[in-house]
Amino acid sequence: MASTALADSRWIARGEERTSLPQFLLWLAPWAVVLALGVYAAGLCLYYGLNQTNMDNRFAFGLWIFLDLGVIALGAGAFFTGFLVYILKRAELQPILNTAVVVGFICYSGAVGILMIDVGQPLRAWFTFWHPNTHSMLTEVTFCISCYLLVLCLEYIPILLRNRQLRKLPSFLVFEHQLHKLVPVLAGVGTLLSFFHQGSLGGLYGVLRGRPFAFREGFFIWPSTFFLFILSAIASGPSFLMLVTATVEKVTGRRLVPQELFQRLGFISGVLLAIYIAAKSIDTLIWLNFTSPSMGFAPWQYYSYKPFGLPIVFAEIVLFGLLPAFLLTYRRTAKRRGLLLSAAALACAGILLNRFVLTVQTLALPTLAFDDFLHYTPSWQEVASFGGVLGYGVIVYSLSYRYLPLFAHAKEGGNTHVSGS
Amino acid sequence: MFPGVDGFRWTLGHILFLSLFFAVALTILVTVVSAVWRTVRDFRTNRAIELCWKSDFAQLPETERRCRHELAGRVMSRTCDNAFDCRQCSNYSQFAVQPARGIVHDLGINYSNDRFYHRGHTWVKPEEDGTLTIGPDELAERLIGSPDSIEMPEMGSEIEINGTAWQMTKNGKEIRVRAPIEGTVVGIGGPKEGWYLKLRPRLNPSDPVTLRHLLRGPEVHFWLSRELERLQLQLRPPNTAPSLADGGVLIDGLMDAMPEADWGTVLADTFLET
Amino acid sequence: MLVRRVSNGMEGSAQREVFIPITCMHCEHETPCVSVCPQQAVEVDKATGIVMQMPQRCLGCRYCMTACPYHARYFNWWDPAWPAGMEKSLNPGVAVRMRGVVEKCNMCHARLHSAMAKAAAAGKREINLADYVPACVEACPTAAIRFGNLADQNDPVSHEARSPDAFRLLARLDTEPKVYYKSKEAWVKALAESKSGPGSEVKRSEVKHG
Repeated sequence: MASTALADSRWIARGEERTSLPQFLLWLAPWAVVLALGVYAAGLCLYYGLNQTNMDNRFAFGLWIFLDLGVIALGAGAFFTGFLVYILKRAELQPILNTAVVVGFICYSGAVGILMIDVGQPLRAWFTFWHPNTHSMLTEVTFCISCYLLVLCLEYIPILLRNRQLRKLPSFLVFEHQLHKLVPVLAGVGTLLSFFHQGSLGGLYGVLRGRPFAFREGFFIWPSTFFLFILSAIASGPSFLMLVTATVEKVTGRRLVPQELFQRLGFISGVLLAIYIAAKSIDTLIWLNFTSPSMGFAPWQYYSYKPFGLPIVFAEIVLFGLLPAFLLTYRRTAKRRGLLLSAAALACAGILLNRFVLTVQTLALPTLAFDDFLHYTPSWQEVASFGGVLGYGVIVYSLSYRYLPLFAHAKEGGNTHVSGS
Repeated sequence: MFPGVDGFRWTLGHILFLSLFFAVALTILVTVVSAVWRTVRDFRTNRAIELCWKSDFAQLPETERRCRHELAGRVMSRTCDNAFDCRQCSNYSQFAVQPARGIVHDLGINYSNDRFYHRGHTWVKPEEDGTLTIGPDELAERLIGSPDSIEMPEMGSEIEINGTAWQMTKNGKEIRVRAPIEGTVVGIGGPKEGWYLKLRPRLNPSDPVTLRHLLRGPEVHFWLSRELERLQLQLRPPNTAPSLADGGVLIDGLMDAMPEADWGTVLADTFLET
Repeated sequence: MLVRRVSNGMEGSAQREVFIPITCMHCEHETPCVSVCPQQAVEVDKATGIVMQMPQRCLGCRYCMTACPYHARYFNWWDPAWPAGMEKSLNPGVAVRMRGVVEKCNMCHARLHSAMAKAAAAGKREINLADYVPACVEACPTAAIRFGNLADQNDPVSHEARSPDAFRLLARLDTEPKVYYKSKEAWVKALAESKSGPGSEVKRSEVKHG
């Protein structure tokens, strides 16, 4: 429907087609319910304590940590796209930049939100800044993610200020212009911060000498998982952006970006995925043959517990690794949109599987000779909290899509924003 | 964090980590402060309005950004890439030497050859005493009819080009009329006087560059002709095809005569708003 | 402290069981929990070798719990609560930790402090080891747990720790734990290193203790 006929047309850019307001609210309604349920579950955990979850003293990290690592890996598209566009000057990725920022903002704010419920004493979160432990990977993660969330907010503000009504205030418009001119600086800072925190999230597990399943040797103070996490994050980021954009195109029924962009993103993702799988394979071989046996843990014992058998390694490396890498880079298959998006989904699934293996499987496996292999099922509060993040994400993105110029019009040059002299 | 907190010892790790962190934090802070300071500076130096106009211009539909030389028949098709700033346009001279071309027919709208016209539907008339008189053109007057209220700038205030000259309301719609040229307000008129503002221009009015961005002579005719075509399309009843009008004059007070039309879009395109 | 009940997996008269108490091992070398805490809420006391936890600074992120291979750390999932009137039986010398923080064995630090206070009152610099007995050592009816000064070569407990029957759990992880176990049985000594998997002879079960 043309924007002029809508009830909230004042807020929607002229010439834009949007669905009617009642229909839009109908779309938001179920996500709002999911979000409300998530907020309620989070409230329960904050009020009654973490006994509301199914974590225990052996399974200290559960669903939330797995999801935190997962969404941060998927949200890596934000910094990587910014790096490619502003630092490497790849202008063909410009149409997806705004979406990348919004997706990154959602992923990181959601992750920080979940972390606030996950810790036992959220009000003490500032202790890490006041008494930082420079040996700990978690300190690094805390610092970098806080700074990066700030950077993402600063990158989101110009997009917000381009709303039709907000831009009518001259101070907003001029501020947006000046902030937009400095976005390359923010992109550079964001790249530096992301490099470190994506890596440190991997380092969290690579340094655990007490968990030989996760422990890795590496370069200087950084275990190999530090570098593997960075590689896997930048491999999955573009794929996730492809999936988000394709979903938005499907839901709105419009072609929003040049279709070659999907192929381009897929190619980048595929190449990085291939490099990641190669590095990971080498790392796995080193770990199986040298690192783990030297700590007294024979590799076969990790994979002798159902359901975490050798098929998981095969799945990670071949099914969710080599296969999507091939499909995304091989031109003949990449031309077919359905196949391309399936490959992107496989790539994202592979990265999520990797995060799962390092968080959940590490804790499930025994260390002491008389330990049990543990089972863990998340409680409904944990699942609902995560659902809340998903609902929050869809709502934020839907509002951004409706009221903000996320996708450049098909005007000349493709970019409606004119940076003044 | 700081020396004095119990158990703190400086190590190389501390130095590296903290210096990196503070470098990053400082960069972010400097970026934000820079943006704020530059914004304040833009307002102080009156660059703000120019920036807002350039940004708004980019948001206009392409049909509203046609180069004046295309309207005048000097070039086949060209979109203005300079926010109508012919004073700074590098291509101006190569086009301007060519004569304006096109069919001249009776539009039913009056315009004057001693006046210069701005794309936002205002006219500028240089007076003998070096001031400029400004008023709305007839198309704008006929559209609005008699405005419900007019808000004029104060005497002595500065007007920026493409900023706000004056504001009107009609039937609940707010109309901001863009200033065709920059200057200081030395006279305030109104609908009864036949002019709205008298300005002392900042630039020398006898210099041809000063008024270069304004349309004159046959250009005005071709531009108004296109504007009338646009109005025909925008004001027709929905679900009817565009019809070819032959003859007929734009009636006065169109907003009152056709209240059901999409005035939001019509006014935005006419007065170059987003 | 968790007391694990481990069987040798045999049936009938060949079956043997041991109880293995697992406490914080107070690791000396590259202590896993110390290096990972983001707030420096854990540290190794140079003087005593005790790994000390500050529950007041703990954020409750549980990273140390994933780092500890001995599962010696416990998170307070619930608010502490006692039946009405029972809170009067709490030891006034030991602070109750709040919900949402991690805690672990601190070698009865309160008892160490009172031993140090006693020595200071008598004008001595070193404590009398007889004054500092952790609660678990004092409670054990069979004296299966013994406590001493590992750094002192003449200390009888230190001497026992160097006997050929003494072993430490997961020694190959190189964390230098200070808790030694002693057994003449080969199958018990084999529990030191992780060689288990489904189908191995060692059966596992546990008895939880406070």
